[in-house]
Amino acid sequence: MQLGFLVDLHLCMGCKGCEIACKVENEVPLSTWRLRVKYVDVGSFPETRRTFTPLRCNHCANAPCERICPVSALHYLENGIVNIDKDRCIGCAGCVMACPYGAIYIDPQTQTADKCTYCAHRIASSMMPSCVVACPVEANIFGDLDDPLSNISKYIQQHQGNVQVRKPEKGTDPHHFYVGGGNVQLNPLASFRGEGHNLFNKLTHLPLGGHH
Amino acid sequence: MVHEAIAATNAIVVLDVPLPGIVWGWIITMNMWAKSIGTGIIFLGFFLLKKYPNETGFIRLPVVAISIVFIHLFLFFTVIDLHQMFRFWHIFFYPHLTSAITIGAWMATGFVGLLFAMAYAIYLKKDEAMYDKFLGWTVLLGIPVTLYTAGLMAESTARELWQMPTESAQMILAALLAGSATMILLGGNKFSDSIKKDLGIILGLSAFSAFILYMAEYIFGGMKAEEVAATLEFIKGGEYTAMFWIGQIMAFIVPMVLVCLSIKKESYYLLKIAAVSALVGLWVAKHVWLVIPQLLNMS
Repeated sequence: MQLGFLVDLHLCMGCKGCEIACKVENEVPLSTWRLRVKYVDVGSFPETRRTFTPLRCNHCANAPCERICPVSALHYLENGIVNIDKDRCIGCAGCVMACPYGAIYIDPQTQTADKCTYCAHRIASSMMPSCVVACPVEANIFGDLDDPLSNISKYIQQHQGNVQVRKPEKGTDPHHFYVGGGNVQLNPLASFRGEGHNLFNKLTHLPLGGHH
Repeated sequence: MVHEAIAATNAIVVLDVPLPGIVWGWIITMNMWAKSIGTGIIFLGFFLLKKYPNETGFIRLPVVAISIVFIHLFLFFTVIDLHQMFRFWHIFFYPHLTSAITIGAWMATGFVGLLFAMAYAIYLKKDEAMYDKFLGWTVLLGIPVTLYTAGLMAESTARELWQMPTESAQMILAALLAGSATMILLGGNKFSDSIKKDLGIILGLSAFSAFILYMAEYIFGGMKAEEVAATLEFIKGGEYTAMFWIGQIMAFIVPMVLVCLSIKKESYYLLKIAAVSALVGLWVAKHVWLVIPQLLNMS
């Protein structure tokens, strides 16, 4: 079994329901995110549109975070999920430095690394990840990539040529796919980031804590 | 920071997670800097004891003492950088052997054991032959201990700027630079002119070689990946430009010039200034190189 995710960006409307569901399900502290939706505005008035890109751990087959972890706190489950054992983590932040997707953070409450686990605890109880359940338009498609009859496999087959992963040049072999994505959504260097261009400019963030 | 944006899309990120900030900051810089001195002084001690056995016998105890102090500084900063520092023992009881951190921790532990064996041989046993025997093994283990941080940086695949071949060379050169600088300051006027000249040449050539590598990355690095090009913007007019050049000048250019002048004028005083400049500048140069890739947005 090889579990994977696919997000159809044509369907996503940026409601952030998945983000909130993830926060609640996994008790993700303020100022940190296991899953978040990036907004990018494209075009010039009046020809403008806003794109929405849910970003989470890619559960790579060749995961740099798993390789660099000195204590195997990051490890593979049999179903392909890259899981994290927070009791074993020493908080060296090597995984934060290794992940090309910026998907790992130091939890300010536990002072250990944390990230999306595809809701491994729910999967173990035969439930879907909370973000999948919360999505009102079924943009998040989750399933077994090894099963050609699973929804995700069928979706990939139906959208041949329009299925992408983030940063394929990194050789991480992500198990997280996007349909309908482009350079603007998937390449962090392709869009302008400037002071004062955020929807919300007065965000409050918890300090990382510890010794930093 | 934008590299690929084109007018046709006019794409602007209006909402995303903020950068996590500098995850590996000055503590890791201290770690690398202290380790360069801790292993470098051993390399230089070995070189002098082999080439000038009759004139350098007095360095045995100070060399091992300095190495013990700086290797423990390196270990101290390694441990306090952990967010869960009291779980440090997990590295030894739950080791993951694909991680450069694990391998480095094991090797550094062996290195410390050998240093204490050397200290025992020279301080308690007063046995120079035993010391020299341990020194050979310490030098051998000192090489991978010096290099493993390059492996760790290479495993940090999100940071394209750090590549194993270049960083390996930089780590060894930093150890030779720091080791020769520390030895120059340690020797005072007890060294003969030929030893001073040798130390000056090692310092100058290490500085020259490291400077070439930095400049090669500075000029050509951006051609290998767009992330590297974007990262280098931080030192090409960006917020770390001044600090980068302060590091390059103090660590490499000033020592190169002063070494040349000191050899020409036979001035040990200039060599000492070069040594101090190299040690201070090395910290700055390492720090800038450590920090700038972390300013790049990954999402």
